[in-house]
Amino acid sequence: MTGLPTFLRFEVLRLLRNVRYVGITVGFPVVFYVLFLHNEHPEARIAGTTWKTYFMVSMASFGAMVASLNAGGTRLAAERASGWTRQLRVTPLPSWSYITTKIATSMIIVLPVIAVVELTGLLIGGVRLSPLTWAVLTLVLWASAFSFASLGVLVGYVASSETVYPLVTALMFLLSFFGGLFTPVPDLPVVLRHAAAFLPSYHYASLGWAVVAGRAPGAGDAGVLLAYAVVLGLAVTWRHRVDESRAFA
Amino acid sequence: MGLRGGPPRPAEPGGPALRFSGVVHRYRSIVALDHLDLEVARGETLALLGPNGAGKSTAISILLGIQRAQEGEVSVLGTDPRSAMASGKVGAMLQVGGGSGLPHGVKVRDLLSMTARLYRNPAPVARTLARSGLTELADRQTQRLSGGQAQRVRFALAIAGDPELVFLDEPTIAMDVEGRRSFWAMMRQFSTEGRTVVFATHHLDEVDAVADRIVVIRKGAVVANGAASTIKAAVPTRRVRFASKGVDPARLRELDGVNAACVRGSQVVLDSLDADATVRALVASGVSFTDIEVTGADLEQAFVALTSDLAEAHTVDDAVAPAYSAPIRRPPASRTAP
Repeated sequence: MTGLPTFLRFEVLRLLRNVRYVGITVGFPVVFYVLFLHNEHPEARIAGTTWKTYFMVSMASFGAMVASLNAGGTRLAAERASGWTRQLRVTPLPSWSYITTKIATSMIIVLPVIAVVELTGLLIGGVRLSPLTWAVLTLVLWASAFSFASLGVLVGYVASSETVYPLVTALMFLLSFFGGLFTPVPDLPVVLRHAAAFLPSYHYASLGWAVVAGRAPGAGDAGVLLAYAVVLGLAVTWRHRVDESRAFA
Repeated sequence: MGLRGGPPRPAEPGGPALRFSGVVHRYRSIVALDHLDLEVARGETLALLGPNGAGKSTAISILLGIQRAQEGEVSVLGTDPRSAMASGKVGAMLQVGGGSGLPHGVKVRDLLSMTARLYRNPAPVARTLARSGLTELADRQTQRLSGGQAQRVRFALAIAGDPELVFLDEPTIAMDVEGRRSFWAMMRQFSTEGRTVVFATHHLDEVDAVADRIVVIRKGAVVANGAASTIKAAVPTRRVRFASKGVDPARLRELDGVNAACVRGSQVVLDSLDADATVRALVASGVSFTDIEVTGADLEQAFVALTSDLAEAHTVDDAVAPAYSAPIRRPPASRTAP
């Protein structure tokens, strides 16, 4: 039990020192925001707010998702393959602490990613929100990133170190494109509009879009994300048990 | 109650470091452990041998608390394996297959100091680095280590918590000869400080040099238990060598007691379970020979004899059967109920 803060600190620092990881997770959403800001008129009205604000939320969501999928998925699969997870099992750390720490690390990393995208919106996009709205937006996006964190960990458990990159890339593409993070859902072909309703990325961003439009976050969106988190959490627990019960040769 | 000879040990609080009694473990229909009994005294260095599939891995995962024994009792440092592991008195170095077994993106020193902090009474990091020959590599990133260096780091991880009992599974598997030599020197130093060491290996020469005692497992039960010399002496295999020209190996295999025959040029080597009978049969056969020599089994031959199907009925145990010496050729397929 006492080892948990030590291990968490170790994991967070190790992740932050990884230049490529930080570059991708922070760089992608910031660069995309700057690139696509002028795809529409920044002041164009959309879903009760302006494009520059709407798209800032989209890219913060994208960043949160990329950060979680890589923090959990890619690294976990690599560490399972290298044997590090087995080595940890023969320390005094309780067996559940590896997953818990991965999810916690993911949550800790997601916060600055969201903040950097928001800062880009403020400084480059000229997004103006009340301090309360900024705070609520950040909090809502951060708290609901839990479902991405559990998705990331699950991916790390089901994928091998070879399949994890294509899997994470595919998920990133599907979830962001079909979830309306790049093209707003009403502009998507009709079939995809229906698909969006099933994706956590769409419901995640919807919470943020509601906040910046001055509406209360939708209970339906929160419900879907919670359901995702529960199902993914159970799946993670199950995969962890399977991994654990394996004798090792 | 010491298992070894020599002067009696001081009182051992909490009994043996490790004890398996009547442990049974099955995977569906496969019996991995079949009433395994094993005891390791505190301060002892024990080698655990067995062919693949003998139940070693299962025994290891039970003693480390990764799996629970289905039947029988297991105690590690006087408690159950999981509590022993959680208490921080057990360290382990596992096999890692193809990977390094280490997380990337961290310096050796930082990895060791994090690991040390997971334990209640860890060794100072500088001492762990010195003990595992890593002082010069302390500032190296883990992904820049060679295979042998990574292996030393994994040894360092096993001892970072200053454990009373250390378990090492194939600790020298990726090392060259020099690496292995210095590894066992470090290990020796570590074990003389009163710690219990249990290791599994396939390098039988290491076993001979390092272990106080050897336990051989076969089909989930102990088939040999004793010092290397005891085990070698107990196995009836002898090697008969001589020089002879143009001799037919098939004919040599027919001789009494011969297990295997090998002819290279004029050099003949016979593995025999009854050297006396073999030599008599050789003389009677009329094969001409010179320079005959009979030698005892080395540990590798003993291991093969104990774990091959020919050895179905062998059991060597210091305590139970002090001297196994009946040189009887056993029918290959005899199956004796345990």
